[in-house]
Amino acid sequence: MARSNRPVPQGSEMSGGTATLPPPAVRPRRRHPGTVRLGNLAIGVAMPIALLALWQASARFNILPEQILPPPQAVIGVLRDGWNDGSLQANTLVSLGRVANGFLAGGVIGLLVGVVLGLSAAWRAMVQPLFLTLAQVPILGWLPILILISGLGDTPKIIAIGWSTFVPVVLNTSQGIAQVPRSLLELGDVLSFSRWSRLRSIILPSAVPQIFTGLREGLANGWQTLVAVELLGSFSGLGYMMAYGRQLFQLEMVLAAVVVVGLIGVLLYLFLGFIERRLLRWQAGRS
Amino acid sequence: MIRIRVTTFLASLGVALTGLALPAMAQTTTIRIGYPGVGIDNRPYGYGDYPSIAAVGKYIEAEFKNQPNVKVTWTFFRGAGPALNESIAAGQIDFAAGLGDLPSIVGKSRGLNTEYLAAGGIHSPLYLAVPANSTITSIDQLRGKRVAEFRGTNLQMATDRVLQVHGFSEKDIRFISLDMNSATAALVSGAIDASFGGSEYLDLAKRGIVKIIYSTKGDDPTLGAESGIVVTTAFEKAHPDLTEKVVRGFVLAAKYGSDEANRQAVFAIWAKSGLPAGSFAADFKDERLAHRDSPVIDPYLIARYKDQVAHAKAYHLITNTVDVDSWFQPKYLNEALAELKLQNYWPTYDSRGNKLTDGAVEQTRAAGE
Amino acid sequence: MTSLRPSLILHGRPYVIPVLLLLVWEITAHSGLVDSKFVPSLEAVARRGWAEIGDGDLGSDLLASLRRDMTGFVVGATLGLSFGLLMGFSALARRLFGPLLLVHRQIALFAWIPLLSAWFGGGEDGKLAFIAMAAFQPTLMNTWRGVANIPPSYRELAAVLTFNRLDFIRTIALPGAMPEIFVGLRSALIYAWIATIGSELLLDISPGLGGRMNEGQQLFEMDLLVFYLFVLGFVGVLLSLFALRLESHLIRWKAR
Repeated sequence: MARSNRPVPQGSEMSGGTATLPPPAVRPRRRHPGTVRLGNLAIGVAMPIALLALWQASARFNILPEQILPPPQAVIGVLRDGWNDGSLQANTLVSLGRVANGFLAGGVIGLLVGVVLGLSAAWRAMVQPLFLTLAQVPILGWLPILILISGLGDTPKIIAIGWSTFVPVVLNTSQGIAQVPRSLLELGDVLSFSRWSRLRSIILPSAVPQIFTGLREGLANGWQTLVAVELLGSFSGLGYMMAYGRQLFQLEMVLAAVVVVGLIGVLLYLFLGFIERRLLRWQAGRS
Repeated sequence: MIRIRVTTFLASLGVALTGLALPAMAQTTTIRIGYPGVGIDNRPYGYGDYPSIAAVGKYIEAEFKNQPNVKVTWTFFRGAGPALNESIAAGQIDFAAGLGDLPSIVGKSRGLNTEYLAAGGIHSPLYLAVPANSTITSIDQLRGKRVAEFRGTNLQMATDRVLQVHGFSEKDIRFISLDMNSATAALVSGAIDASFGGSEYLDLAKRGIVKIIYSTKGDDPTLGAESGIVVTTAFEKAHPDLTEKVVRGFVLAAKYGSDEANRQAVFAIWAKSGLPAGSFAADFKDERLAHRDSPVIDPYLIARYKDQVAHAKAYHLITNTVDVDSWFQPKYLNEALAELKLQNYWPTYDSRGNKLTDGAVEQTRAAGE
Repeated sequence: MTSLRPSLILHGRPYVIPVLLLLVWEITAHSGLVDSKFVPSLEAVARRGWAEIGDGDLGSDLLASLRRDMTGFVVGATLGLSFGLLMGFSALARRLFGPLLLVHRQIALFAWIPLLSAWFGGGEDGKLAFIAMAAFQPTLMNTWRGVANIPPSYRELAAVLTFNRLDFIRTIALPGAMPEIFVGLRSALIYAWIATIGSELLLDISPGLGGRMNEGQQLFEMDLLVFYLFVLGFVGVLLSLFALRLESHLIRWKAR
């Protein structure tokens, strides 16, 4: 089949990063969509700069009414005021904290469950279909129930973020472990490794790229979920800022929050990309 | 290849735009009215004011009985005033009936071109509700508690004023913005400690599910919430005749809603929202219908709105000020009142709340009075 | 393999755990240990579901949501496909729009709700814009990648056969990129559905599953919420299976 055999994105995947392809046997020089070579930097920033100029012009000459597109200065003003009175930092940290907690919980539990499922085909057959079906329900579908049970505070948010992290981590971890190449497993037999040694020295390291893919997807999902659940109802956070701006028709506040959300998204993407490249280099070094 | 794609794209864009322009040349005019609120379980009914009566009684549609090419649509917004503002900004609504003071002021200050045509529900009291087993007994104990407030609506304005009177500001409370139904559910389930709202809590209080620990009813009369009938400048300029008829329809609905003889009938109409008629009886205890359903623009109303604009600025809810005098357009209202011979139906008050002229509605009596 | 192969459904093992869980749930609901308001019994859920279907509510809400979903998906996927092809085939477009589209991708989807709501209103237009945006990114990225990763041998073949640009795209490049494009479309279908439910919960009330669940939450109707959870899962599975079937049907020629 020509279908690529990486995990099919399931219901809770809302990945902001690019899902990676499994490393092919021979690595041809493929173009990665999105890498901008330094030489093209000038053209690369041309568009954003043009857009910014258009934005400024619209504000100046009222091309689009200001309630639809507030001037860039207004957005900067909100960011500055928010920074000065500390509310911007506070809201950002609260949001990041929720993601961190949810990612930690979902990631750790997901790794454990993923390892178990990866090692046992029997368990996989029993759990995977149910799991995949559950994953088809959009995370927002669970939220009314979560809110009824645990209110509007941090708990339902962290649970939701944890679940959206859990799913890709489990799927990728179990697949990574289940698909350790036969040759490596045979090597372990030849060297009469104990089960524990086999797990530690052969299976886990071989599965690391796939596990990392799962964690990466989990983090991206968690971040997406955070914004959604904060918009549904929260006392604090970036989503709260957005809702406030929306209710009071202050689009500059909404835009300011979107800028911060986008910035964090970009930083996450760059950071995870950096770690992934490090990991691949280590992987290539080992094999 | 790129050239071909671009041309095709532009061509289809051109066709699309022409297609959009065609309806404008069609004969039917649709008057799109928006109401800022929904009933229990989001049903499309309002309560507590006369625009909701106008919707149920089809008063506006009646004005265009003999004009088959004029259609009237009503949309009920769960997101209340703020959602109505979004719709106005997107050009999807012509009249906002019962739009609260804060959202209409916010919209106007942000450059939404609207005209204020008539009062659309005034002196609405604010209620503070807590769960039945709560230990909170007064506003002063709200510091640091989780409280629901429907942001951007006239409830927020009223809440901010009440808080100011009691010596604290929004920053002292952990506010969450929830629409009416969500706030009620959150309060009952204990997800929040208190909620500022309207008459929807009265029935819950009667059933012992919540306690109402504060109300502006009986307190300083300037602490309530006001609403108005607002039209987009674009519609008003394009169809002044239709605007006049719409205002006429609203005035007739206001007359019905102000006549004490209709008291029970009015409560029954509002009960279509899902709230029992009993809550309105409690909400209107010792209060005449006309006190809330009067559509007149008198010096008192103008002073109230100027006051609200000043407070909105003080609470940093708006940055640009709103010139109430140029925003208010009483001419349609006055024309309708003259046409219907209702100029002296409602009393008028001066800017300090003292009565200026008497109104015939004060003579109306409810059954059994 | 982690995809839902229809043959798995025939074997017994996948059913062990779900059946066990349902048993535990049913026992808990009837035990009196937990407030029945929070854990409705299975019959209560079934009864409620039956009522919803009978009222016609489920049918009309489901239809409304799916209609919204499909319309938004088509708009978003078409835009994504067009841009993806553009980015894949034109180095200039890549340099011009690449960074911008990547940044757009990193902005969490739901962060767009307040803005789209202000620009298009919270009604049908706003919801469609949001759903289209959700379908746009996955389609764009995968189409782009599909085109960019056409094996060099294919291009060499085209050169040998002296194909012009258009012929190359039509007969070799597009079919070559199809599998990747389909992955993108499947992903977009899922995101569009998530966006549909999300838009119904966060924007103006209108017929749809999200609105119904919103009511259920406000009125504490746990049985309704659980029933609609099943509905959501069911629709999600159907959408996935439908997409898989469509894909394997359309690129059958690639099977080995």
